[in-house]
Amino acid sequence: MKYALKRIFMLVLTMVIVSFLTFLAFELISGDPAEAMLGTEATPERLAALREELGLNRPFLVRYASWLAGFVSGDLGVSLRYRQPVWDLIAPKLEITLCLCLASFVLITAVSIPLAIWSYRWTGTVFEAVRTAFNQLCMAVPPFFTGILMTYLFGIVLRLFVPGDFPDLHTRFGEAMVHLFFAAVCLGIPRTAMTVRMMRSTVISEMQKAYVRTAISRGNDRHAVLTRHVLKNSLTSAITFLGQTMAELIGGSVVVEQVFGIPGLGRLLVYSISTRDYPVVQTVVVILAFWVVLAGTLADLINQQVDPRLRLGGAA
Amino acid sequence: MLEIRDLHVKFHNRDREAVAGISLTIGDGEIVGLVGESGSGKSVTAMSIAGLLPRKQCDLSGDILLDGEDLLHAPRSALRQIHGRKIGVVFQEPMSAMDPLMKVGEQVGEVLRIHTDLDKNQRRARVLEVMEAVDLHNPEEVYNKYPHELSGGMLQRAMIAAAIVIQPALLLLDEPTTALDVTIQAQILELLKKLNAEQGISMLFISHNLNVVRKLCRRVAVMQRGVLVEEGSTDRVFFDPQHPYTKRLIDAIPTRHGKETV
Ligand SMILES: Nc1ncnc2c1ncn2[C@@H]1O[C@H](COP(=O)(O)OP(=O)(O)O)[C@@H](O)[C@H]1O
Ligand SMILES: [Mg+2]
Repeated sequence: MKYALKRIFMLVLTMVIVSFLTFLAFELISGDPAEAMLGTEATPERLAALREELGLNRPFLVRYASWLAGFVSGDLGVSLRYRQPVWDLIAPKLEITLCLCLASFVLITAVSIPLAIWSYRWTGTVFEAVRTAFNQLCMAVPPFFTGILMTYLFGIVLRLFVPGDFPDLHTRFGEAMVHLFFAAVCLGIPRTAMTVRMMRSTVISEMQKAYVRTAISRGNDRHAVLTRHVLKNSLTSAITFLGQTMAELIGGSVVVEQVFGIPGLGRLLVYSISTRDYPVVQTVVVILAFWVVLAGTLADLINQQVDPRLRLGGAA
Repeated sequence: MLEIRDLHVKFHNRDREAVAGISLTIGDGEIVGLVGESGSGKSVTAMSIAGLLPRKQCDLSGDILLDGEDLLHAPRSALRQIHGRKIGVVFQEPMSAMDPLMKVGEQVGEVLRIHTDLDKNQRRARVLEVMEAVDLHNPEEVYNKYPHELSGGMLQRAMIAAAIVIQPALLLLDEPTTALDVTIQAQILELLKKLNAEQGISMLFISHNLNVVRKLCRRVAVMQRGVLVEEGSTDRVFFDPQHPYTKRLIDAIPTRHGKETV
């Protein structure tokens, strides 16, 4: 429990640092927001008035504090491009991207763990060569390419979804999920292959350990050695790896959203960067950072439940 | 009760046989010592008895009979009935020999889960009883500990408890005290003596230290490069070694006793 609190404190601290650095960086690169909003022909008087209104004349730290307070309370400023509150702009996109990433994550986890066990069992059989080749293929082919193939096959030929025409997530949830499913598969294939490979080698190295010999000496068969001892011991590295996977998925989703025509965060981000819509970009950067830190924290907290050795110092 | 006849073990990736024709018997309730320097083939001998050698990586020949039952040529499934139930094994490093993520009590009771119909409560009761017998105090508390929370000496007691919980006929002890410091070593030897006296379990006690063997075993076999060079009562071997290798082993013991014989 103490450990969990410590970990959550670390998360908050990291986020404060990240947000500060982000705020600082955007201060440096974005120039004068008043000028950006009014354009170059604005009169000096109007610029001064807007600066006053936006609070740009206050000291840097004060502005940071008020931005942070706004962030926490959901007031993220106004998009320069759309003249809409940033949160209203981001929320529906974030929803879609989260659905995509979570679907992909669930697929990766559900598929890779059984596959890893199978592929371990196939060691030394004719399947092994086939498995290795297939695994490498899955890792090597980039998601945008499988994405193109899948939009063609499932979208255009089989008409299971309409590429580029994403159904509304709230009113046509089922259809939207079908659309997302194929994108999630594309996004998940390379990471699934990596997870399988990583888990397989963890299981193999665990199998060499002395406790396995003890387990066999007690009369456990191969299956029991695996299920009762080795899998649990392999779990912590799998969870750490899956945590990294979860963190990386959101980055990978940008490309996949483009291929499948999904109006998620990725598209908004690309558009906002190209139009220098800094309030939007700034917010997305912080959200992405939060996602990454959250994934790592969750993985650590789960691992600590699995492995009592990690509870040292936090148990009492 | 255990009879080894002309055992040969050769690993495919080695030129020399790890065990090159060993014959040894252990009587009911007897403790036999097996000594020899590191690499002489002691562990491989013990692992052949326990069926823990990687069969695909080595060739085995000869016979190992436990109460007349063939251990070397039996199929794996039949062997699993014998492992744990009739033969208990204790290894050198108790910390690595235990599953780090399983409670000590559950590991001690694992053999019961595999080989008996006892339910959870009955198993627990038996585990606590055995923990008491190996002088683990506060067994209730130890039961729920994980290996990293116990000292090496306590873990080795727990390993011994796990090996005898089902009252096997034979206990294989592969350097069980080597990783422990001297006082703990002496306590473990006392414990083994007590278990042998009270429960009549036969033991094969392996060590590279003849002096340790002498405290526990009445009979000892000396192993060098895969063969037994000398065998006999411990006192005879210790005070009147016939083979030069045995003499060297005795001279290597850095204790008073070793010098007395010179
Ligand atoms: N799995 C294995 N593969 C190949 N060689 C082995 C294996 N296990 C043991 N050996 C070899 O067998 C010989 C005897 O080893 P061992 O029985 O462990 O000696 P010790 O008497 O120290 O217990 C050594 O030369 C060792 O290298
Ligand atoms: Mg050894």
